[in-house]
Amino acid sequence: MITARRAGLGASIVLAVIGIAAVLGGTGYGMFVDGGEVGPGFLPVFAGSLVALFAVLDVMGRLKRVPEHDPLKEVAGADEELAADLAAESDVDIFGRTQSQRTRMLAIVLGVLVATLALVQVLGFIPAFGLMLFVIAVFVERRKWLPSLLVTVVTCVVVYLIFVTFLRVPLPEGVFGGF
Amino acid sequence: MIENLILGFQTAFTPENIFWCFIGVFAGTVIGLLPGLGSTTGVAILIPLTLTLEPVTALIMLAGIYYGAQYGGTITSVLISTPGEAASVVTTLDGYKMARNGRAGAALSISAIGSFIAAIISLALLMALAPPLANLALQFGPVENLAIMILGLVIVVSFAGGAFSRGLMMAALGLLISTVGVATGFSSARFTFGNVDLLSGIPFVEVMIGLFAVGEVLHQIRVGAAAPIRTKFRDLMITRSELKRSVGPILRGSGVGFILGILPGAGSTLASFMSYGIEKRVSKNRDQFGKGAIEGVAAPESANNAAANANFVPTLALGIPGGGTTAVLLGAFTIYGLQPGPLLFETQPTLIWGLLVSFFIGNVLLLVLNLPLAPVFGQMLRIPYGYLYPIILLTSFVGAYAVSNNFFSVLIVFVFGIIGWIMKEVDLPMAPLVLGLVLGPLFEKSLVQTSAIGQGSFLVLFEHPISVVILVFAALLAAGPSLTRRLVARRHAKQADRENDKTPVAH
Repeated sequence: MITARRAGLGASIVLAVIGIAAVLGGTGYGMFVDGGEVGPGFLPVFAGSLVALFAVLDVMGRLKRVPEHDPLKEVAGADEELAADLAAESDVDIFGRTQSQRTRMLAIVLGVLVATLALVQVLGFIPAFGLMLFVIAVFVERRKWLPSLLVTVVTCVVVYLIFVTFLRVPLPEGVFGGF
Repeated sequence: MIENLILGFQTAFTPENIFWCFIGVFAGTVIGLLPGLGSTTGVAILIPLTLTLEPVTALIMLAGIYYGAQYGGTITSVLISTPGEAASVVTTLDGYKMARNGRAGAALSISAIGSFIAAIISLALLMALAPPLANLALQFGPVENLAIMILGLVIVVSFAGGAFSRGLMMAALGLLISTVGVATGFSSARFTFGNVDLLSGIPFVEVMIGLFAVGEVLHQIRVGAAAPIRTKFRDLMITRSELKRSVGPILRGSGVGFILGILPGAGSTLASFMSYGIEKRVSKNRDQFGKGAIEGVAAPESANNAAANANFVPTLALGIPGGGTTAVLLGAFTIYGLQPGPLLFETQPTLIWGLLVSFFIGNVLLLVLNLPLAPVFGQMLRIPYGYLYPIILLTSFVGAYAVSNNFFSVLIVFVFGIIGWIMKEVDLPMAPLVLGLVLGPLFEKSLVQTSAIGQGSFLVLFEHPISVVILVFAALLAAGPSLTRRLVARRHAKQADRENDKTPVAH
C-alpha cells in the first residue's frame, strides 16, 4: 500500500529530476547572449534549479515528517464538541465504501478515461464520452441503469446543442457520423 | 471618474450583457454550492462557452461565476457542513451550528446581506484605487515590473498554505512549464522534443481545466462523499437583534477582506480565516463562537466577498492575478487578445468600466437570487456525485477540445488532470504553479529587458528606488510567517519554562 508520505517522496524525487533535466537542457540553449543579456536558456536554468533545490529540501522535510498544519482546527481551538465533529470524518463514506474500495474505483475510472480517449476516433467524441458517463454511473457508482441512461442521453443532447449547434465546434465524428 | 462610470453603465446595461451577467452569477451560485466544483474549476470549464461572445460580455460572465461562487459556497457550508468553496470553509464552524439550531435561514440571509454590503464597499474602493494604481504602474519600466512579479510570486507562495519551499517549488515549476515552445524574443524552440503541437507552448486553459476540474474529480473519488444532514427551515426570517449584531462583523470583515484581497496572491480564503479570528477576539459574544454565533457567519462571508473584488485591483491594474480564479480569468483575457495590465485602463476603458459596473449588477442579482432562493438552491445538493463527476469530466474534455479544436488539448487536460490529482494527494499547492505559468512569458520578457538595462547584471533591481521598496516588501512577506512562528514558539517555550518552575517536583 502506497502511503501519502511515500507518494510525496516519489513526487519530490521526480520533480528534482525534472529540475535537473531543465538545468541541463537550458544550459544547452545558452543562458546569455552577446552583451550579457539573458538568453533563451536563462529562465529554464533558473526555474529548473529552483525546482531541483526545493524538491531536494522537500524530500528532506518529508523524511523528517512535520506535523500537518490544519487552519480549521486552529480556529476551532479548544472547543471540544467542534474538534470532535472535525475528527469524526471517518474512513467510510456515506455508501459504506472503505478507502481501499475507493482507491480501486479511482483506478477503474482512470482506466475508463483512457479507454474513452482511445474510443473517440472510433465512436466520435460525444458518443465515447456518453458511454463513459453511463459506464461510470452504472458499473462504478452502482446507480440504477434506467436513470443513468436518462442522465447520459440528456447530458449528451445538451452538450451537442451547446458545443456543436451553438458554438459550432467540429468535434471528432466516428462511425455514427453527425452525432 | 464620472465619465468612466457613465461609460461603464452604458456598456453593462445592454440587455445582452445583463443577460450574460445573470447567467454568470447563476452558474456561479450553482458551481459554488456543488462540492468538488469551485470557482476556479467553474471558470476554467466555462471559458470555452464564451469564445463566440464579445470580450467584455465574456469577461462579465466569467467574473460573475467568480463572485457568484462566493455566495453559493456558503449554502453548502451552512446546510451540510461541506464548503463548496475553500473561502467558505470557516463558515462551516458557526453556520452549520446555526443550521442545527434551526437558524439555517438566518445564517443564509446574513451571509447574503453581508456579502452584498461587502461587495458594494469593496467595489467602490476597487473603482477608486485601481485607476491610480494603473497610472502609477504605467510609469514602471521593466525593472519595476520584474520586482512586482517577484512580489506577486512571493505573496502567492507565502499564502498558498503548507510549506513555503513547496510553494516556491511549484511557482518555479510553473515558470519552467511556461518556457516550453517558441518564446517571443527568442527564435529557438525549447523543450518541444520534436513535437509540433508543443511549438506554441503548453496551452494555458487546458492546463487549468486539467488541474482544477479533472484533478479535483479524481481526488474526490478517493476522498469519498460526506454524509449530508437535512436541515429544516423553521425560521427563514432574520431577527432585528441578529441584524444589529452583524453590522460590526460585516464592516470589519469587508475591511479585512479588501486589504488582504488587494495583495496579489493572498486571496479570499485567508481573508475569511483572518476575519473570523478577529471577530472571535473582539466580539462581545465571544463565548458563542463555534456554537452558532451569527458573527461567525457574517464576518468571514463579508470578508471573502470583499477579497474576491479586491483581487481585481492587482489583476486589472498590474496584470498580476490575486488568486487562482483571477489567474484563470487573466488567461481568459489573453484568449481574447487582451494583454492584462495598466495599459488596459487607457486602451480598453469600455471593457474595464463595463466589467466593473457589471459587478454592481451581478451583486444585486445575487442578493435577489439568494435571499429567497437559497433553500431552493440547496435542493441541488441532492444531485448524486456519481452522476455529477462523470458529467464534469465530459464537459471538461469537450470544453478543452472547443478551445482550439485539437485533440492535443484533450491529452493536455488528461495529463494535467493526473498531475493535479497527484499534487492534491501529496499536498503540493496549485495556485503558485498557475501563477508561475501565467506570469512566465511576462517574467521572461522583463528578465531580458532588465538584463539589457543592467548590461547583463540584475543589480539594477537595487538601483531603482521603487523596485527596492517592492523587493524589501517581498522579502518581509517571505520572512514574516516563519519569523512570527518562531517568536510565538519562543514565547510558548518561555511560558512553559515558567510553569515548569512553578510546579513543585514530586519525589
